[in-house]
Amino acid sequence: MWKIIVFILFINSINTAEVVNKNVINKKVERTIDLNSQLVKITGTITLENTGKEAVRNYLIAFERGLQGSVSYISVQDSLKNALKTSQVAVVGSGTSEIFYNVQLKQSVEPGKTGTILFEVILTKALQPYPSSITQKEKQLVRYFGNHYFYSPYDTRTQKTDVLVNSRAVESYSKLKPVGQTDSKISYGSYDNIPGFSVDTLSVHYENNAPFLTVTRLERTIEVSHWGNIAIEENIEIKHTGAKLKGPFSRYDYQRDSSSNHHSIKSYNTILPALAHSIYYRDMNGNISTSAVKAKKDYIELELRPRFPLFGGWQSSYILGYSIPSYPYLFKKPTGEFVLNIRLLDHVFDDMYVEDLETKIVLPVGVSSIKVKTPYEVRRLPDGVAYKYLDNIGRTVIRASKNNLVEQHIQDIEITYTWQTHMLLHEPVLVSVALFLAFIVVIIYVRLDFSIRKAEHSKKD
Amino acid sequence: MADSAKLIRYISPVNASVFPHLTLVLLGIGIFFTAWFFVYEVTSTKQTRSLKKELATALVASIFSGFGIVFLLLTVGIYV
Repeated sequence: MWKIIVFILFINSINTAEVVNKNVINKKVERTIDLNSQLVKITGTITLENTGKEAVRNYLIAFERGLQGSVSYISVQDSLKNALKTSQVAVVGSGTSEIFYNVQLKQSVEPGKTGTILFEVILTKALQPYPSSITQKEKQLVRYFGNHYFYSPYDTRTQKTDVLVNSRAVESYSKLKPVGQTDSKISYGSYDNIPGFSVDTLSVHYENNAPFLTVTRLERTIEVSHWGNIAIEENIEIKHTGAKLKGPFSRYDYQRDSSSNHHSIKSYNTILPALAHSIYYRDMNGNISTSAVKAKKDYIELELRPRFPLFGGWQSSYILGYSIPSYPYLFKKPTGEFVLNIRLLDHVFDDMYVEDLETKIVLPVGVSSIKVKTPYEVRRLPDGVAYKYLDNIGRTVIRASKNNLVEQHIQDIEITYTWQTHMLLHEPVLVSVALFLAFIVVIIYVRLDFSIRKAEHSKKD
Repeated sequence: MADSAKLIRYISPVNASVFPHLTLVLLGIGIFFTAWFFVYEVTSTKQTRSLKKELATALVASIFSGFGIVFLLLTVGIYV
């Protein structure tokens, strides 16, 4: 028993021990923090310098404590725009409240040389409405708290930060000199020679009327039929997570208010695949008639209008379903295995934030040796069994779940499985056998005699 | 998905545009034989009834109706 525990600890320590290489220096860091939507999008360029004697192969990106559960997506590229492998790690000598991502550099940085990496980070739940509740006519103001300095385990020579804010109505912002403001951005810096792990709170209080709409739960069911169709149904629960509505709601004032930038949500656009057909939009009451389908060149735009406008703290739920032909998604390997490539998550609205996703993939009857390859780490739930029309065996359901997703997570899941083409005959044969049994019952029935008295012709002798 | 170029697209063995025609033909034959079966059952007497003929009609009727019903479902969009 002890041996096993020691072994497990050992394995863990191998997997997670990362040491901060003090010879790495951020020579120049440029950040852009985009606060125009409900998400915080940070993009930046890091020029790193190796002052040590050995080549540097990896780089650590760190996030302050308090950003736990808020970092939704991170992607790092080198200067040639090649994606670099990034994984969350623990670092020796730091607390558990900080988050570290280890970036494996494609080209190691030789001693005395510099390298450039580009990063993109999406934070969710990082904007707080302040005041936290407003009346129908008021504007929605939010606050963002960040860091004037690029939070890094390494020392930084020089750095600059631009904060993009959509309106001129900035109430206040922290002023760590040098700082300047133009129409659509606040520029901080440059700041020179900042030691690693420095924190100095940056705060911006500004007007943000972008829809603060959260998908609190998204259940996506994908049903594959080898007759040539994939049926997709999404069970969506949405909530307005901006400033809460204070006081009454007046439909009269709402109708009169024609200004387009309002904190309530009247409608939003969902993008569907170009080949989608048989689209339906309904909730527990039945069909919701306020939707419009617009076919664009390479996608279908669906304008959805909830049954009522959504104000802060209000929520709604609906079901959106459609069918797509299977040929763009279903492939066959030369070895006879089938490969399904389909989106694990699809677009709900622009700058969306999905709190909780569960994707179910219903495979056809009689599949075996299923292999699943996900684009990012997801929680695989135990496989289920679903019974659909004309089904006596049941179909395998692959279930996957993940929290805290954004648009950048719209990526394909790959499922490989073995399936015999003759299983296509399963349903028609099932119906035929059932009908034949019904005929047999009729054949037996006509041979039975339920009459009380004997039939006349048998009386003759 | 670098290797998806090597893969062959899977295409349904029956083109979706022929589903309605298949439904009409198969279900038409199926209903004809079903009708024949029932007409035979009610018109024949104990002496004239032949089990072989009944079973043969029932088999043909059930096969055609079975496939016809499945294609009917496919036509209306219930992909079984």
